[in-house]
Amino acid sequence: MTLRKKVPFFFVAALAVLTVAGMAQAAMPAGFDDNEIRIGQWGPQTGPAAPWGSVARGSKLLFDIVNEEGGIHGRKIKYFIRDDMYNPAQTVGVVKELVERAGVLAFVGGVGTASGLAVKDYLAENKVIWVGPVGAVDEYVFPAKPYLFAVNTLYADEGSLLAKYVVDKLNTRKIGILYQNDVYGKAGLEGVKQRLAAYKMGLVAEIPVEPTEKDMASQVLRLKNSGAEAVILYVSPTIAVIALKTSATIGFKPQWVSSHTLSDYPLMNKISGGLWEGVITGAVGDIPDSKHPLMVKYREAAKRLAPEERWGVFYYAGIIFADPLVEALKRVGRNLSTDALLKALNSLTGYQTIGPKINWSEKQHQGTDSIMIHKCGPGGSYIKLQDWTANDLAAWKK
Amino acid sequence: MVEGLAIGACYGLFATAVVIIYKTSEVVNFAQGEMAMFSSFVAFHILSAYQYPFWLAFVITMLFSILLGILIEFLFLRPAKHPSILGMIVITLGAEMFLMGLASWKWGAEQKFFSLPLNPSVTYEPVKGMIITNWAIAVFAVTACIMLFLYIFFKFTRLGVAMRATQQNKHAAKIMGIRTERIFSFAWGFSSLIGAVAGMFFASRATLDPAFMMEPFLRAFAAAVLGGLMSIPGVIIGGALMGLIENFFGYFWPHWKPIIAFIVIILVLCLRPSGLFTKHYVKKV
Repeated sequence: MTLRKKVPFFFVAALAVLTVAGMAQAAMPAGFDDNEIRIGQWGPQTGPAAPWGSVARGSKLLFDIVNEEGGIHGRKIKYFIRDDMYNPAQTVGVVKELVERAGVLAFVGGVGTASGLAVKDYLAENKVIWVGPVGAVDEYVFPAKPYLFAVNTLYADEGSLLAKYVVDKLNTRKIGILYQNDVYGKAGLEGVKQRLAAYKMGLVAEIPVEPTEKDMASQVLRLKNSGAEAVILYVSPTIAVIALKTSATIGFKPQWVSSHTLSDYPLMNKISGGLWEGVITGAVGDIPDSKHPLMVKYREAAKRLAPEERWGVFYYAGIIFADPLVEALKRVGRNLSTDALLKALNSLTGYQTIGPKINWSEKQHQGTDSIMIHKCGPGGSYIKLQDWTANDLAAWKK
Repeated sequence: MVEGLAIGACYGLFATAVVIIYKTSEVVNFAQGEMAMFSSFVAFHILSAYQYPFWLAFVITMLFSILLGILIEFLFLRPAKHPSILGMIVITLGAEMFLMGLASWKWGAEQKFFSLPLNPSVTYEPVKGMIITNWAIAVFAVTACIMLFLYIFFKFTRLGVAMRATQQNKHAAKIMGIRTERIFSFAWGFSSLIGAVAGMFFASRATLDPAFMMEPFLRAFAAAVLGGLMSIPGVIIGGALMGLIENFFGYFWPHWKPIIAFIVIILVLCLRPSGLFTKHYVKKV
């Protein structure tokens, strides 16, 4: 082929490729039709973080209830759960598949801060709404992202409220912290320090830990020697168990206080051999056996629609993260569109079901700064210590 | 310090399992951690599902771990035709993923509680400020027994001498009538048993889940490199040093604790590639 012949050939080939690519872009399916609204969620159903996979299945319960009650303005919810094995690389794959092939209007929940950060920009570029990311970090909401609406309380706000509880209610002034050396742990540390600074206090020990460590002897000994009477934990379940076991062997008995990420008491009590009893944690939902009418309704529905599931805090957290999206869809009415849904989400104020009160506006997509405080009772039972409390020091509200 | 030595002895014990395979076949077995994990899960299953007494469950688990080691060698490594060392290592990586997947499928990814029949609240304080736990005493005792057994085994038994001969020159050993394939099977079975003991110590200190041995494997490997991959006493001392160094840094500079093991590896590989306690590095030709 001569050069003169080659040039038009490549031109036509390039044009064909661009046309096909353009068609593929244009053919990206809409997230709904006359009969259904498609909603997706990723989460670890297998792999090391599989216990948190119940969040995605909890959201399914809510959508099943909605469908059972007739759907939303004549449309049923079609819900897709994809297993990403807590691996951000896999999250990208499953999210692209749901957006480009299945066609979803919105995502809810989504366990894993690293997983969420890996797809945050992709979802925004494709104008896919994302409600209630499970991770609670600044990167999701500051500055406000047009398509992302956070339901979970920021770890920094929670840390601040936990420190306040320790100082005010437990009357403890010697506080240490054991935190995971990542975004999650550092956010909790920041909140605790902010609160203590307001009291003109400081931490007696500030110990970082890697999530993979299996030996905590030196760190726990340092906490003990610091004289800490309360230790706040922003760590993984395994690290928390190692810390408690090690403390038990060296006779160190502080008041343990933890993030809501370790608020699955039956699980924590089981894997710690009963050492979790007495631990105080933050909570982003009411206690499992709450008499709140909606909790009763969901609990009964779970027995009927998902009898194989344990009614645990992570399971019904899936409801808490998906609830505001369902409410916004109801408010939109029959004339559904992404823009109409955004408008409804942006106007959701003072909305509360079994989670914290949600307030969103066009400029503010961090929905809450409140937590409850619970305590692990005998056999992994729940004791409610404090009802919903907002963080008066939340810097982002000012 | 005692806890540091005990965790170090545990790394050393596990590193011994790595070294036994390395000494016979020069293969670093990356499935070692998962073999220990799988055996620990078997112990957990016997204890929780069948409610057998601990010592019976322990004996069954030890037998299972030997069988597991032999099976891995027989099913994964032996079928490889003319494998290079790198090829063998890749096969062990495949075995690692297979075992992890199998454990996740059978027992789930959720953490499990595993304990040894040692009362955690009973501690001893021979000198003021020096607390010795039951767990540490058990680790020291078991490690000492296994070391003594290995010394006698490699020095005075025919099988032990055959294993050393196979390591030094596989072809010459074959010519001398040693059935090297059986030696490999034995090494894998024996290594799996020691790994299972160390795995149960680690599981009782933390939690049991399919990924729980990944980190201890890395630390044990670091201990083996520190002590010398060819020296069993060396890896025990390497493990103890590793435990002490890590705990020293964990107390004074906790940020450095996770990486100090790997800094040590790099330093040792730069300054003394054969390890601190191996006399000289023998390159086979």
